[in-house]
Amino acid sequence: MHIPDSLLPPAIAIGGYAITGGTTWYALRQINKDHDPTQNIPKASLLTAAFFVASLIHFPVPPSSIHLILNGLMGIILGYYAFPAILIGLFFQAVLFGHGGISTLGVNALLMGIPALYAHHCYQWGQGWVKKYPLGSTIWTFFTSASALLLSAFLFVSVVIANIPADLDTDLERQAILISMIGYGIQSLIEGTIGVMVVSFLWRVKPELLPHGGERGSPF
Amino acid sequence: MARETRTVTPRGREGVAILGIDRYAHLKSPVHRWQHPPKLLGLLSLIFTFAGVERLQLLPLMVGVTAGLYALSRLPFSFLWGHLRYPGLFIAGVVVFLPLVQGETVIVQWGAVAVRWEGCLTVVLIVTRFVCIVTVSLVLFGTAPFVSSLKAMRSLGLPKLLVDMALLTYRYLEELAEMRLRMQRAMTLRGFRGDRLTKRNLERLADLVGTLLVRSYEQSQRVYQAMILRGYGQPTTEQDQTWQGIHAYSWWGLVLTLVIACSFWIAPLVL
Repeated sequence: MHIPDSLLPPAIAIGGYAITGGTTWYALRQINKDHDPTQNIPKASLLTAAFFVASLIHFPVPPSSIHLILNGLMGIILGYYAFPAILIGLFFQAVLFGHGGISTLGVNALLMGIPALYAHHCYQWGQGWVKKYPLGSTIWTFFTSASALLLSAFLFVSVVIANIPADLDTDLERQAILISMIGYGIQSLIEGTIGVMVVSFLWRVKPELLPHGGERGSPF
Repeated sequence: MARETRTVTPRGREGVAILGIDRYAHLKSPVHRWQHPPKLLGLLSLIFTFAGVERLQLLPLMVGVTAGLYALSRLPFSFLWGHLRYPGLFIAGVVVFLPLVQGETVIVQWGAVAVRWEGCLTVVLIVTRFVCIVTVSLVLFGTAPFVSSLKAMRSLGLPKLLVDMALLTYRYLEELAEMRLRMQRAMTLRGFRGDRLTKRNLERLADLVGTLLVRSYEQSQRVYQAMILRGYGQPTTEQDQTWQGIHAYSWWGLVLTLVIACSFWIAPLVL
């Protein structure tokens, strides 16, 4: 789900960088409100590397396999660090593997990063009322992870279709978005399931990795 | 996808070679001699200029500049080809239908399927831009140690926290990739067959992701202690790589690249 170089007009690519710059500034401002932001740098960096590596794991979807995006899970675990983490991860993917591109890095960071910030807020907001109900927690974590991926997919497909230099009519455009979203819908189900399983695993093994994890018992 | 062959990395440590972008950073060439901050600024401006090229008449010039730059860098062609293959497939998947839907001038027709001239020209434009941008990106990050390129980004005004996170992430990426391979190999040896979409398989893979996160978190606590012991966050006498101390050679390289970039923006106005 990376837009490669040369596909977007320069105004969109530069605009993407401008908005990414603003969002990064906002995320860093929130991070600097921590009592000791320095302490969290190694944690966020190594988790960024871990998410990067985890996204290389192939999940079987016969007859082929997919690799996960995990931006919803990143938002849940990393909070505001998720945006710089995604920016760095995408930069590495563009430079090291050629997935995405340098000129489209700003737009790609928004496509993945904004849903990660949404996942962070969505998960935090839900904790207030689902923490007492195991099933509620499971459903909310699933919803958060899956909807973050769906939001990314929707943004990605919309940006690509809106900027393909073809004379597509509105109906054809709508159909293309719909068909693409069906594929991503299946992936979002897997992404949501994996989100629930990983969060449940962390509650059992290392609850301090989750927001407020050390402060209360597992809802799973 | 990442090349995951066991090899000896340029740092002399056996590992998973996913970080081979700077494997030719030791070569001697005019581009290798170009210092980081002006090289970053110059080549990034060239990348954005290429992304904005809309006129077909400018494509030969763009290809010429790119080919000249790549030849000057003395990077092998196989290096470029290796980095073009996978993203090239994606681009091909996106643009392959353009000749069928864009434009009105039909050049070939098979029944209901018609190939249109305007669509073909758009494909040429997108593919040429793509190849040129990827090539310049490779020259930018392939002609210097990647860590130095990251540090040089501070001179372009990138926040310290972002650069520090990038440096640490890069430092542990290969190690975690190796850990992931080890764990997956162990799972396979214990009988895990990940070729079917079952709840059990998803649980095993989710446990793998969770274990990676837990291990990296535990390691981050040791890293933090080590960083504090080495004085991280304290005032330092070490100079960041800034615009001071840049050689005239590097300045001229920057000026030349900016002139080339500007000519691409001006050319459509006079053509």
